[in-house]
Amino acid sequence: MNLVSSESLEKQYLQIRNLTKIFGDFAALKDVSLDVFEGEFVCFLGPSGCGKTTLLRAIAGLDIQTQGTVEQEGRDVSTLPAAERDFGIVFQSYALFPNLTVADNVGYGLVNMKADKAKVSARVEELLSLVGLSDQGDKHPAQLSGGQQQRVALARALAMSPGLLLLDEPLSALDAKVRVHLRHEMKELQRRLGVTTIMVTHDQEEALTMADRIVVMNKGVIEQVGTPEEIYRHPASLFVAEFVGTMNFIDAGRGPKGEVVLGDLTLELSPREEAKLNGGDVITCVRPEDIKVRNVDENTVNSFPVTVTDLEFLGSFYRATLNNDTLLNHEIFGDFSINLVRDRDIQIGNTIRVALPVNRLHIFRKGK
Amino acid sequence: MTDQAVSELKSRAIRPKLSRDDWVMRGFILAIGAWLVVTLLLPLYSMLSKSLESKDGAFVGLGNYIEYFSTPALFYSINNSFFIAIVSTLITISLATVFAFILARSCIPGKAVFKGIALLPLLAPSLLPGISFVYLFGRQGVLKGLLGDYSIYGPIGIVMGEVFYTFPHALMILIAAFSIADARMYEAAVALRTSRIRTFFTVTLPGIKYGLISAIFVVFTLVITDFGIPKVIGGQYNVLATDIYKQVIGQQNFEMGAVVSVVLLIPAILAFAVDRFVQRKQVAMLTARAVPYEPKPHALLDKIFFVYCLIISLMIVGIIGMAGFASFVSFWPYNLELSLKNYNFDLMDGGGWSSFYNSLKMAAYTAVFGTIVIFTGAYMVEKANGFKIVRGIIQFLCMIPMAVPGMVLGLAYIFFFNSPSNPLGFIYGTMPILVIVTIAHFYTVSHLTAMTALKQIDPEFETVSASLKVPFFRTFLRVTVPVCMPAILDISIYLFVNAMTTVSAVIFLYSSDTTLASVAALNMDDAGDVAPAAAMCMVIVATSATVRVLHALLTRGLSRRTQAWRQR
Ligand SMILES: Nc1ncnc2c1ncn2[C@@H]1O[C@H](COP(=O)(O)OP(=O)(O)OP(=O)(O)O)[C@@H](O)[C@H]1O
Ligand SMILES: [Mg+2]
Repeated sequence: MNLVSSESLEKQYLQIRNLTKIFGDFAALKDVSLDVFEGEFVCFLGPSGCGKTTLLRAIAGLDIQTQGTVEQEGRDVSTLPAAERDFGIVFQSYALFPNLTVADNVGYGLVNMKADKAKVSARVEELLSLVGLSDQGDKHPAQLSGGQQQRVALARALAMSPGLLLLDEPLSALDAKVRVHLRHEMKELQRRLGVTTIMVTHDQEEALTMADRIVVMNKGVIEQVGTPEEIYRHPASLFVAEFVGTMNFIDAGRGPKGEVVLGDLTLELSPREEAKLNGGDVITCVRPEDIKVRNVDENTVNSFPVTVTDLEFLGSFYRATLNNDTLLNHEIFGDFSINLVRDRDIQIGNTIRVALPVNRLHIFRKGK
Repeated sequence: MTDQAVSELKSRAIRPKLSRDDWVMRGFILAIGAWLVVTLLLPLYSMLSKSLESKDGAFVGLGNYIEYFSTPALFYSINNSFFIAIVSTLITISLATVFAFILARSCIPGKAVFKGIALLPLLAPSLLPGISFVYLFGRQGVLKGLLGDYSIYGPIGIVMGEVFYTFPHALMILIAAFSIADARMYEAAVALRTSRIRTFFTVTLPGIKYGLISAIFVVFTLVITDFGIPKVIGGQYNVLATDIYKQVIGQQNFEMGAVVSVVLLIPAILAFAVDRFVQRKQVAMLTARAVPYEPKPHALLDKIFFVYCLIISLMIVGIIGMAGFASFVSFWPYNLELSLKNYNFDLMDGGGWSSFYNSLKMAAYTAVFGTIVIFTGAYMVEKANGFKIVRGIIQFLCMIPMAVPGMVLGLAYIFFFNSPSNPLGFIYGTMPILVIVTIAHFYTVSHLTAMTALKQIDPEFETVSASLKVPFFRTFLRVTVPVCMPAILDISIYLFVNAMTTVSAVIFLYSSDTTLASVAALNMDDAGDVAPAAAMCMVIVATSATVRVLHALLTRGLSRRTQAWRQR
């Protein structure tokens, strides 16, 4: 696991060490360790059933881990029940109290603190305006749209000014447009309040646009932790490469000196990838948008001719299906701008020369 | 991870610290558990051990059972009970299946009225049909000719009474089963040009399979454990339930009463086990349901269906009406002048009008305390963290009352609470013991209603409360109870009506200060005052009906206030 060095200057907020959670005889989390820094927005990203919710609930004390420790602000909270930890939470279902008004929902925890009435209602007002629902306080949750309900849940979670905000797929019940809109709003709010936030999602776009750092999980282990850019540009494992973004996977062989070859083409690799090499067949990965066409000729490294077998118009770009029977074990995709397609006269049936840029090429050992 | 590594990890699992809420919830769970143990398990246990004792309390092993099975008269009762139960079940199920099918799958007018009438028997004590049949087919019955040489006193009367009494129970289950049909199956059948009859046998019947099995076992259990009808109209025809009564009340032979009770428990428990098994499957079917079925009109069939429902409804109304009419007749059949003479209960044995007031009080207490205990218990069992084993045990205990005949429970209460060594003995012969036995008797259905409602609300309410540092009981009172109010009202009305009409559970437990209306009716009938018994039954029916109407109005009013959030 790599702790990102650039962040280590910041103050650690949450320290998770060797967390294991077992249900029956099934390990939902296996020896997971992670640090979260103060004020940071972290996303847990992974396929369904990989243990994201389990990790979140362990952090909250809702389903305490079988093994391992959680430290929050230097305090060991490993065995504490949820009521004795400091967090606010928003669930996928929002869990709004249906029989209470929006204002009563938001002020639900405040009333309990024996604060006087005027103070409570002022705070509720403040929270409602924070999420842009100032005039909706008297309505019941059922009278609000899904997006509004989500914001009420958020306001309620923030009411007690928690040090940690936990969000379990808070946007997944909304339709696509509202979701995109709320992404920005939530991120903006989080930045303004500076509250340390962990969000669970299986929507990679959500994670890439909202997170300061992404934790990619698979089958109960953390595959990679990094900024969205790092995750996208430098996937640490075949799983991450496959799960985040679109990726071409090309089976490659090994030459006599250990070099990576596609048929008779020897691939040149970046030192970073070179370092990962040892014996055996490998898979090379390249993103469709990284496949180069301009300024490519016979002498360009990692270049080879391909036939365009299909061209799909996707609005802002074309996705071309490219084939080379001798080098590639199957077709690959290339994303080309509309300009490029026009300039280079890329058409179905044409043959063009493409290159796989050295610094955009990833390799992984096969049969991982 | 290997299995070994897993179990190794689990053995070193960290122990979470319990929150205050956890402690409080566990306290409640233990209290509910203790309640069920004291009001259910221990009495049943003392009955079981009583059946193994001789009159002077010495342990005799299976001696009583051997004696029982070698007494031919008693042994015949088993035969009779099964005969009555099987025949009644066959008739009830056949009639109710067709009725339910019509209500769920046809376009006849007046369905709501037919359904309302079909459910009327639920409001009456089970001896009402018995009394009514005495007037219809008894020695001086208006329709005596219809029976020819047969006597209504005996198996015929019992079966007819049981069919009346169990019809609505079967109907409710079957309507539910018919309503979960998948329209797509019918569309497919039509597309394949399958005949209506064939569709009925290949699509409809398999679709209600589980509901049908469940209804069969529910009816079977109700009949075999019923006491009111054979008592009133059984004549010399003995069944297990009346045997218990005769052994205990007639001969003061408590040990033999316990033996018969255990014998009666066996078929009831078997039927119950099958029913639970089948219910589980039905639920799975329900969640997988798809497009709801929309019935289409059919000129001829709808006419036939209408006539069928009309006949059944007229019979039900006729049976209740007969008892009602007889209750106003001065002196059947000689003086048919109408009067309120039979309602002058204070002039008869059985407790008079005060027994009615006792019943009202008992039903009200049962509704209030029963609902509080049962709903709170269900909440704790459903929402608590950890404590899995205890919660599982309580869930199991909650299911037991369904399988225990009221009379068996009542007898078990005598053994447990009337024992000199029991510190709780002081409640014997008081109002509280009647309330407690009635709550225990009707626990299962109420508990299941509460569970269903609780499972429908968001499981994260408690979690959110914990994160907001709000104790769970505040959320329970402020959110859970209001949201579940419809179910809570359903439970309370169910408890009230059943407390009003029940005979079997309380027959051994009332005292001269706590006579109840249903018991008074039974005793008046026993003493030959049949018309006053009919009058008392009518008072009970009127009360149950009034309370039901009030309940409907209240539910509507409440839902306008507390459930306002349901409307957009
Ligand atoms: N209470 C439980 N008992 C048994 N197994 C559980 C329990 N909760 C979760 N699991 C299992 O643990 C695994 C991880 O579950 P978790 O809910 O953390 O997944 P997730 O990553 O949040 O998935 P999703 O995206 O579907 O929400 C799953 O295989 C799940 O079946
Ligand atoms: Mg999840």
